[in-house]
Amino acid sequence: MSGNFQLPSLKIEQYALENGLRVVLNPDRSAPVVSVAVYYDVGSRNERVGRTGFAHLFEHMMFQGSDNVKKTEHFQYVMKAGGTMNGTTSSERTNYYETLPANQLPLALWLESDRMRSLAVTEENLDNQRSAVQEEKRLRYDNQPYGQVIDLLVGMVFKNFANAHSVIGSMEDLDASTVEDVKEFFRIYYAPNNAVLVISGAFEPNEAKELVERYFASIPAQPKPPEINVDEPKKIANEYQKYEDKLAPFPAFLIGWKIPPRRTPEYNALYLAGKLLYDGESSRLYQKLVKGDESIIQLFGFTDERRGPSGVAVGAIPKPEQDLSKIREVIMNEITDLATNGPSAEEMQKLHNQLINDTVRARQSSLARAQAIAEYALYDGDPTLINSELDEFLHITPEQIKTAVSEYLNTKNRALLDVVPAGKG
Amino acid sequence: MNEDFRKTAPAPLALVPFEIPQPFEIVLPNNLKVVIFEDKRLPIVSFRLAFRFGEVNEPRDAIGLTSAMTSMLSEGTRTRTSLQLAEEIESLGAHVSASANADNTVIAGSALSLYSSDILKLMAEMVLFPTFPESELKLYKQNTIEGLKFQRSQPNFLAEEQTSRILYGSHPYSITTPKPGDIEKITREKLIEFHQKMLVPNNATLIVVGDANRDEILQEIEENFGGWKEGNVEEMQFPAPPARTMTTVTIVDRPGSAQSNIVLSNPAINRTNPDYFPLLVMNQILGAGASSRLFMNLREEKGYTYGAYSSLDTRRLAGAFEATSEVRTAVTGDSLKEFFYELRRIRDERVSEEEITDARNFLSGVFPIRAETQEGLTNLIVSQQLYNLPADYLQTYRDKVNAVTFEKIELVAKKYVTPEKMAIVVVGDAEEVLPQVQSYSSEIEIFDTEGNSVDIANYGKSSIGESADVNGKWNLTVDFQGQKLSVTLSLEQNGNKINGSLESMLGNGEITDGKVTGNKVFGTAKIEVQGQSLEIMLKGDLENENEIKGMLSAQKDGFPDLSFTGTKSG
Repeated sequence: MSGNFQLPSLKIEQYALENGLRVVLNPDRSAPVVSVAVYYDVGSRNERVGRTGFAHLFEHMMFQGSDNVKKTEHFQYVMKAGGTMNGTTSSERTNYYETLPANQLPLALWLESDRMRSLAVTEENLDNQRSAVQEEKRLRYDNQPYGQVIDLLVGMVFKNFANAHSVIGSMEDLDASTVEDVKEFFRIYYAPNNAVLVISGAFEPNEAKELVERYFASIPAQPKPPEINVDEPKKIANEYQKYEDKLAPFPAFLIGWKIPPRRTPEYNALYLAGKLLYDGESSRLYQKLVKGDESIIQLFGFTDERRGPSGVAVGAIPKPEQDLSKIREVIMNEITDLATNGPSAEEMQKLHNQLINDTVRARQSSLARAQAIAEYALYDGDPTLINSELDEFLHITPEQIKTAVSEYLNTKNRALLDVVPAGKG
Repeated sequence: MNEDFRKTAPAPLALVPFEIPQPFEIVLPNNLKVVIFEDKRLPIVSFRLAFRFGEVNEPRDAIGLTSAMTSMLSEGTRTRTSLQLAEEIESLGAHVSASANADNTVIAGSALSLYSSDILKLMAEMVLFPTFPESELKLYKQNTIEGLKFQRSQPNFLAEEQTSRILYGSHPYSITTPKPGDIEKITREKLIEFHQKMLVPNNATLIVVGDANRDEILQEIEENFGGWKEGNVEEMQFPAPPARTMTTVTIVDRPGSAQSNIVLSNPAINRTNPDYFPLLVMNQILGAGASSRLFMNLREEKGYTYGAYSSLDTRRLAGAFEATSEVRTAVTGDSLKEFFYELRRIRDERVSEEEITDARNFLSGVFPIRAETQEGLTNLIVSQQLYNLPADYLQTYRDKVNAVTFEKIELVAKKYVTPEKMAIVVVGDAEEVLPQVQSYSSEIEIFDTEGNSVDIANYGKSSIGESADVNGKWNLTVDFQGQKLSVTLSLEQNGNKINGSLESMLGNGEITDGKVTGNKVFGTAKIEVQGQSLEIMLKGDLENENEIKGMLSAQKDGFPDLSFTGTKSG
């Protein structure tokens, strides 16, 4: 049935300003709402040794005021217009976005352009945001059971510093950042030629183009940021690590693998293999371990999608008194089975329905559309991939899944992180 | 080029109207209410079978039964095993889940609209014909008991557990979660009986939103749910939540915490109270978002936290006003000070017209954004139905927000923000938190993470009253990156309070807010180092009356924590 499904195409128009800013318009009148997303081509992958956490700290600085928007006013302007906004940082990029009632498009463009051209970097703002980031680190990582384990696993899988260090960074590096660092970072990475601007929602394309021109055209381009190298050896950096977590109530483990970059057929095949292994109650490992053996409390898994070498991880929180090595053996046996026999026809049918359902649902919100389009524009130089990526996935064959699992997962080249509860938490 | 146009925020474009039609409603002969909202923007559909009963309605000797019953709906029916259900649903790329909270129980399904009939059938099968197999129940119980242990490692759960206990007393809202013993007691017979009694059509609404044809879907609903038998819906009576008379402090000791989770709360309103809209606008001004007062103060000005917020928990029968933040341990007391400052300010000082306008604009502006996705729209319709809000609730929501005046806000702030009788709950390292909260209440209780009461005397040794004598001069040796650095403290003690000075090669500073608790010494000194003002926190443990050891840490700077030892010189 899913074979006949026709995904309606989204309207995509792309162009660039003279200063190099790439602009993508996605007019869609299904709700009286507009979303604006600005993606800068800078993430933790661009950070140097001794300056970890800088891309993310900088994201906070972008809310601290510019020539015409005073400190904290960014939040206020958006909220009093009835909108929502935020920014996030990953290994790959830093993004900023607003969703507003459709008639407030000029406000979003004014706010984004003002900080792109004239961010105010002061000692006081830096001190304050460094504190906020350090509390964010405590809240999300240091004060949570298992809060650190994903960052630790990333450090075990990747060898290259650009890939291996965490987005949140270290307290020491955050403390060492100076106003000069921040200003330099802004000049290098927050240039129009290093960014993508996407508008999605209820707007008139011609009106939007005029506004974009008005607000962004006079912001000067900057020299290209330094090239980075995210290459990885095939071998993972560290095969085994034991981590004592003083807040964890149970032992846990995570297994990590290094896989090819996003949007390669191998990555896509492994993303689908991951869904079959750990996604949902009908997944293979859920049925073997949570049901079946009844040996674990919780199963989780994810793909770490990057422009360079990427990752897959599977983890479990076992029940007390369970033999962890036995659980890992079950996981590896299932992977071997997938590498030997490939997925069944029923599994392929399930994947296709899930892909279609997820793709259609992801199109409902103007913000989700703007974000997906921005990634394709920034990473691949082609925002229309939002209309064709589903097909790329639907065309992955059982044979491709089998081969990719065999080469990249059914191997001893993997990282094992053992989490041991330490002390009464 | 003239860039003056950048100086002020641009005017909005022409308004794009937002009209939300009222859904179609009908009641079937078995008194199942059906609500259909056709939304054909995308080929997807959402179903909600929503029941007006929740954990609050479960027997007091069967805590956890509602969650167990709803979770077990997907673990086997008369025609399908747990695995078959999971495979059938997921092979369609669809989702079905069942969940319960204090007030309501909801079975949710979503799918591509081409699978809408399949999903409706599966939902009916799960709701009408579950079998609660023994083996699945055993597994549910095991996993739930482990899950309860896991919850106790999470500070926000611990804070909410104490807050509910304190606010709701003998009202069943006081129970956040079952105990392992409650789960042990659940049997298949109890589940079958509870299912028969509670999952009845005359206490339910089936809501359909999405790419569906009204007549066709209605016919399918009748086919699947028409034979469902009515039952008795009992009205239950509950004890009233206790009236609060004073501010209390409850600490949950979580040793090694990197932060303190703070929750301040007091009773407020239920979901249908006419004060709902004024309180919503007041809460927006005070703490609902990143431009609200609490966030501006505790995060943007003070840097104590990643976020500080206030919220309304409005349930069917009662509700609460809460203010929350997660702050680094050393500023727990300072954060409480700012919370109380803001609580008093919203209650006692006139809120500006500008703030009111901004809050109203936010609440009415985000409303269409909340309804943008099918999930969002469905959730709005579900609350309107479950809480029996007026039929035109979604259509008039923005008018009601915009009708809130200064007078109404002043009235609700005085009524529902009561800083003199707050329940303060702090989850953190009690040894460090206790001295910082003592000035807020004479009623301080401490619990461990298991929820057991702990004697306050276990902390800070003789924490109240009998503190050590630290008067005099202390010579400290500080380990500064391998170098030994001398620091002199001159302390004047008055009861538990300490004033004095700190002298060092790097600079001198005054200690004004020091404290002694048992054998623990705390203080902060502001010193100037290379033109920078630096706040140094001192934390010391008295080894005996003449010896101290501890740590100096700088607040917002690149200073590592420095350990010291010291002796008294007179």
